[in-house]
Amino acid sequence: MRRFFAGIVVAALVGAVAACGSSGDSGSDAGGGVDKVKVGVIPIVDVAPIYLGQQKGFFANRKIELTMESGQGGAAIVPGVISGQFQFGFSNITSLLIAQTKNVPIKVVANGVASTGKTGADFGGVAVGKDSPIKTAADLAGKKVAVNTLKNIGDTATRESVRKAGGDPNGINFVEMPFANMPAALASKQVDAVFVVEPALSAVTSAGGRVAAWCYVDTAPDLTVAAYFASTKLIADDPDLVKRFTEAINESLAYADAHPDEVRAVLGSYTKIDPKIRESLTLPKWPAEINRSSVETLAKLGAQDGIFTGTPDLGKLLP
Amino acid sequence: MKWLGAAGLAGLVAVVEVIPRVGLVSADYLPPSSRIFAALGDEATDREFWQAVGGTLIGWAVGLVIAVVAGVVLGILIGAVPLLRAATASTVEFLRPIPSVALIPLAVLLFGTDLGSTLLLVVYASFWQVLIQVLYGVADVDPVADETARSFRFTATARIRYVLWPTALPYVFTGIRLAASVALVLAVTAELVIGSPGLGALIGVAQSSGAVPTMYALIVVTGLLGVAINLAARTVERRALAWHQSVRGEVPA
Repeated sequence: MRRFFAGIVVAALVGAVAACGSSGDSGSDAGGGVDKVKVGVIPIVDVAPIYLGQQKGFFANRKIELTMESGQGGAAIVPGVISGQFQFGFSNITSLLIAQTKNVPIKVVANGVASTGKTGADFGGVAVGKDSPIKTAADLAGKKVAVNTLKNIGDTATRESVRKAGGDPNGINFVEMPFANMPAALASKQVDAVFVVEPALSAVTSAGGRVAAWCYVDTAPDLTVAAYFASTKLIADDPDLVKRFTEAINESLAYADAHPDEVRAVLGSYTKIDPKIRESLTLPKWPAEINRSSVETLAKLGAQDGIFTGTPDLGKLLP
Repeated sequence: MKWLGAAGLAGLVAVVEVIPRVGLVSADYLPPSSRIFAALGDEATDREFWQAVGGTLIGWAVGLVIAVVAGVVLGILIGAVPLLRAATASTVEFLRPIPSVALIPLAVLLFGTDLGSTLLLVVYASFWQVLIQVLYGVADVDPVADETARSFRFTATARIRYVLWPTALPYVFTGIRLAASVALVLAVTAELVIGSPGLGALIGVAQSSGAVPTMYALIVVTGLLGVAINLAARTVERRALAWHQSVRGEVPA
């Protein structure tokens, strides 16, 4: 018995030491001047280029050893980047604008993902069920619409679609739920419409649903949806690492855009999307350039909808 | 009696097979058991799956050990010193009902998506289970035995070893058994919400990928882990307390 408890004590001490040591090893120079970099991402289609770029060696070429840390919904990403647990993070533009108005010290270092800009073939939109009376974006006025996060890019884009179609965007009742739950919520008529992206969008359309509003397309031409960012501290302390990371991401984005088949293949490595859906889902665009005017539009619309407490300073946020 | 438990489980499997097949719930959202087990078979051949099981078990085990050691040491200390017990009683009652998941923002801030986040949640939730049981155990010491030990001039250490510890041990094991289940729940919850490595994170990926059968298969695995942990805890308890009347029972005449 005594030995049993002695063992427990030893194990506890080892565990405690391991727990304390685990967060101190990131960002350090390993042998040969290779930088160990942790990137906070969400395991969704949008971040396929960084996984593909890692496979292709675009990061290793630039002496970056990449580790992806996938947090659900990204709640952990901004705090993780600020505290230095991640060197870089992936977040949608509206979230970054919100952080900027709160003076969170972060700055965009590379583009993340963009809308295809094509009505009828985008990776996200506002979808309705098979026999829904909602035909156009204007019909969404006064309806119950599910978004993945309230007061974020989903409601901004949905409102803009309704506004452009001549409907009243103020009466829309937004409710929050994870993308993955939306197909079921739509099928059981808990909500009238869902703001949804791939692969859940494919689940909705394969169940007979259709897209009533291509809200990313309606919001701005070739809308930049998300971006990679770093803390301003890292940008000041290690500009060379940031430069190499940005170059590697840009190369990855260009490669992913040019090789959709390899993108579909790499999805199998970090998601569990069904192989059939992987072949058929609509991929987003991955331009290397951030579409600045689309970010300005998101900032303006967000301010109009009362998402921000102040006015976002794009000069501080964008490179 | 054992076959009855197995029959109950088989019944559950049969019900889950039938419900989607007769159309009570769409098979898209609750696949029949056979498809869940097929997905489980696929997972079992995947290295990533076993790494996730390992991740969850490490978070569970390390968290539980820290909670048990801290709970036993502090429990005996607080329980044996009446002044400490009076001073901490209301603080313990204040901290104990705070749900561990409410600490997620703190965990993320301190540890990001590392194992540390899981440990914080696991330790916080299971610590109180152990501490409260140990406090009960210490309070249960027979005053006559304690007085006897005192009049024989036992040292404080000897009184803890020979009077307090044997009395408290059954309570300690009850605490460990309760904490072991709670620790598993919190380990999976932390992984699911924060994304620290383990089964919960894999469930999250399966969910966001729309891989419904895989998601249920992983949930089944967490259930199986729970059963295994409970069985193991009971076995250890029975062995360690073989001398105690609660386990020994009466020998039939």
